[in-house]
Amino acid sequence: MKRVLIVDDAATVRMYYRLILEEAGYLVVEAVNGVEAMEKSLRESFDLYIVDINMPKQDGYGFLRELRGRDELRQAPALMVSTEAADHDRKRAYAAGANLYLVKPVKPQELLVNCRLLLGEVRP
Amino acid sequence: MNPLLEQFLSETRESLQGIGEKLMQLENEPESAELMTELFRFVHTLKGNSGLFDFPELTRVLHAGEDLMDAVRDGKAAYCLPMADLLLDAMDYVGMLCDEIENDGVYAAAHAGDSVRLAETLRRMIGAPADAPGAAGAVSPSAADPGPSAEVRSLLSGIPERIRMDAYRAQTSGGLHCLVYSPVQDCFFQGDDPFFQARRTPGIVWGGIAAREAWPELAEMDAYNCVLDFHVLSEAPAEELKEYYRYVFEQLQMTTISPRCLILPQGDPNGGPVYEDFVGDALGLLRGGDIDALRRAARSMLELSSRELWFSSALRWLLLATEVEPENGVVLEAIITSLRTLAAPEWHVLAAAAGPQSPAATGVCAAKECAVQEGAVQESAAKESAAKESAVGEAGLLREETGAAIRAIVDVQREILSLPDEVAWIAGRVKAAAASLEGCLRSSGSLDALPGLRLAAESSVALLSAAPLLAWVEEYAEEMAAAPPSSPNAAPNAASNAAPNAASEAAPNATPATCQAEAPAAREPSAEAKPSPAAAAAPQPESEVKFGRRVEDVYAAAKSIKVDQVKIDRLMNLIGEMVVAKNALPYLAGRAESVFGVPEFSREIKAQYAVINRIAEEMQDSIMQVRMMPVSFVFQRFPRLVRDTSNKLGKEVNLVLEGEETEADKNIIESLGDPLVHIVRNSLDHGIESPEARIAAGKPAAGTLVIRASQEAGRVVIEIRDDGKGIDPAVIKRKAYEKGLIDEDRLERITDPEAVNLVFASGFSTAEAVSDLSGRGVGMDVVKTAIEKVNGTVHLESEKGKGTRIRISLPLSMAVTNVMIVESNRQIFGVPMDAVVETVRVPRAAIKTIKKSMATVLRGRIVPLKALNTLLGLAAQQRANEEDELAVLVVNVGDQQLGILVDDFHETVDIILKPMTGVLAGLAAYAGSALLGDGSVLMVLNVKEVL
Repeated sequence: MKRVLIVDDAATVRMYYRLILEEAGYLVVEAVNGVEAMEKSLRESFDLYIVDINMPKQDGYGFLRELRGRDELRQAPALMVSTEAADHDRKRAYAAGANLYLVKPVKPQELLVNCRLLLGEVRP
Repeated sequence: MNPLLEQFLSETRESLQGIGEKLMQLENEPESAELMTELFRFVHTLKGNSGLFDFPELTRVLHAGEDLMDAVRDGKAAYCLPMADLLLDAMDYVGMLCDEIENDGVYAAAHAGDSVRLAETLRRMIGAPADAPGAAGAVSPSAADPGPSAEVRSLLSGIPERIRMDAYRAQTSGGLHCLVYSPVQDCFFQGDDPFFQARRTPGIVWGGIAAREAWPELAEMDAYNCVLDFHVLSEAPAEELKEYYRYVFEQLQMTTISPRCLILPQGDPNGGPVYEDFVGDALGLLRGGDIDALRRAARSMLELSSRELWFSSALRWLLLATEVEPENGVVLEAIITSLRTLAAPEWHVLAAAAGPQSPAATGVCAAKECAVQEGAVQESAAKESAAKESAVGEAGLLREETGAAIRAIVDVQREILSLPDEVAWIAGRVKAAAASLEGCLRSSGSLDALPGLRLAAESSVALLSAAPLLAWVEEYAEEMAAAPPSSPNAAPNAASNAAPNAASEAAPNATPATCQAEAPAAREPSAEAKPSPAAAAAPQPESEVKFGRRVEDVYAAAKSIKVDQVKIDRLMNLIGEMVVAKNALPYLAGRAESVFGVPEFSREIKAQYAVINRIAEEMQDSIMQVRMMPVSFVFQRFPRLVRDTSNKLGKEVNLVLEGEETEADKNIIESLGDPLVHIVRNSLDHGIESPEARIAAGKPAAGTLVIRASQEAGRVVIEIRDDGKGIDPAVIKRKAYEKGLIDEDRLERITDPEAVNLVFASGFSTAEAVSDLSGRGVGMDVVKTAIEKVNGTVHLESEKGKGTRIRISLPLSMAVTNVMIVESNRQIFGVPMDAVVETVRVPRAAIKTIKKSMATVLRGRIVPLKALNTLLGLAAQQRANEEDELAVLVVNVGDQQLGILVDDFHETVDIILKPMTGVLAGLAAYAGSALLGDGSVLMVLNVKEVL
């Protein structure tokens, strides 16, 4: 089972992703901010990260930078999700270590397709 | 309700609470950037959440709120009191919608208008200049309604006559819609494309663009700001338009107009023949019903006139109108009359007259279309069902879509790898990009490309440069463009072609069905069997090993559960019965010894009883703990209440809350809410003086209101203290005397502290008292009743000019009542210990009869006595003991102490008091009944009622 870490301070958003991803057969772990996400990432390994930007304690950028800076970790793809659609936000996310940037609200289909692709699971 | 919606509502409530608190705090320290950031995050989270559902009204208000907070955070708008008020209003509105959603699953469509207004007002705040304090306050709700008709009319007159005529000819049944779309200035940065949006408006008849205000100097112009308004005339139904513009609805003005409103003659009003005769003739023909003659006359008149004249334009419209609605005399007559006045017909004035003939003739609908919104609200579950649909599997995925998505991901990785290498996390970035690309390769089935990717990634990591991987991506992207891997069959073919080189790799692909069903399984063999030298380089995922622990982790994430209160109550009742049932054991032990003569067995029973007793007590404690809530649950509403009330009264009040973490039973906490609000209101209204009066009295301008909770000896004590003007006991005494609450005798003797507590007496406060006593004490009897209902007491102390202190004492829990058992006429009764002052033995001789009622003197005070037998209507006399002393139970009734004569006292016990039910509920003398350990029933007296 592929393991996905959801990092978002909004419980509703986490639940939304969880419903979609669990239905699709993924194992979902949640973190409410960058600090918790980092703790969990050090303890266990994930196949994909879904990261919000604006969070207390440590934001999504900070978390991804720190994650990508840890050489001992396996670097799984990260999907960054935000309400900001501007290009500079996108660029900032990529620079910080995101591999894809989606704009909220993400449709279930959109989320699922991209997760599957990043996890190498869609086959013709 | 689906769990996601439930989660949303509960999180929204929490956030609203948080927003309220932050706004309060912000009032004390308006400069705090940290508070502002937290506030922003709350609103931001809420907005994000609401986007998951189909609640456009919620999203609209929250979006406006978020933009406002953002502007404040960036220093574009100044935080001020009206802004806080407005935000609080907006949050109240959100809360209200949530309540409706919770109760009915949807909210009333009527709220749509409010949401537009709120959002507009919020957005207007952003524009308010930071240094003009009055500006924000000047925003009035009515300003949100800029009288559509004039604006719309000018818009309509901008439409070429030919287009208007075509639209009029079409006579769309639902009316036409006039849209003015004014995108926010920074819309380009929000991902909006207003021009595109406007152009694709459904049912578009005409569109125009206008500058919102005069163009600025070229040098000052910012091309990245949208300063344009988009005008659209559409014949699509309102619903469709609303749906289309739903995300920018607050930036849209939509007016429904009748096609007739398009009849706007235009042109040069001067010149041409004299028309007075024509108007007279035409009206005659019209009234005569000769439309053909009218048409002929108009046509010949038109030939005589120059095209550019206003008159000609009106004639053209007249001709068209005779063609489109020849039977509608009102319209034709209006056009003809307008020839005389040279002013376009006032269609909305005519609407009423034209009504019976044509229901559609409503003219300009003054009411904005947005207020209609019926049926626009949809089940939020729609999105969730969409989630399920898509989760069904690859079957739901369009192949082309997948191909496009893969290309998008690859492009992004290319962009990422093109970023400058000089960051500390370059290795991680390269690895993550490689992992993403690997996902794409696997997804598209191009496994033969994997070794190349891994090799490139490896050298990128080794060199700490994205260049090698970037080179690979670019090459791959070219290949991909040449032969899109998304095409259904290309990829497996590619894999099969590669088979001679890497047969083992191709194997899993030869059976695509298995691959799809068990992705991880399919992935393993291909990775293991990889013959390529790059195998070592590929970082093999180490994740699959640690499953067991992680599943637990997932469950550990759920920290709290929501339980129906009924279940807890049931548990509470059961443990109550258990406590009672275990009390039977000591009786049993006693019988074992006395009746059956087996003391060993009796000892064993007692030992076992001790164990069961301990467990039962712990259980009871734990269940009580479950029901415990912090008083902050009640306290949290006070900052807002105090703020709002004191603002309204023009007073300055510092609210100090202490001991919010103090816990008590849920019922107690809930019963505390209303009385506390009442007391606090009173305190603000009448206790704390206006700033001027305070300064005159030598006090600081701002009053202080302290609400403190603490736990004292098994009770919760709430103290509400203000430093206001206090209560004048003399006034209270006089008032109480006037109202007949105290007699002359009492008036003489009553002490000041006793007197101020008279405010709690029922019948003391009336509306009249408001002016006389500055209203202090209004409805205080209600407070007292509410508190006594949960076995609490309330006490007031006040010093004139210094302030007032109210102390409420409440039991921690209502579940267990401590009662004293008394005996009378060989029956036992319970008396709640809260009421009991003391138990004494009084010699019969010491009991005097004064005015036919008994009394005795205890420690120098006269205590009236009543016999329980008499009170309960039992015939027997109270019995005395050997020394001829009578048992007197001294109880507190209100402010008085009374003695109840009983036969004997017994022990005190903890009981679970069950209120009387059925026909017995009418017996006011009893508070309820309880089961005793031996199975007998104890009737518990309601002391106040009995006396």
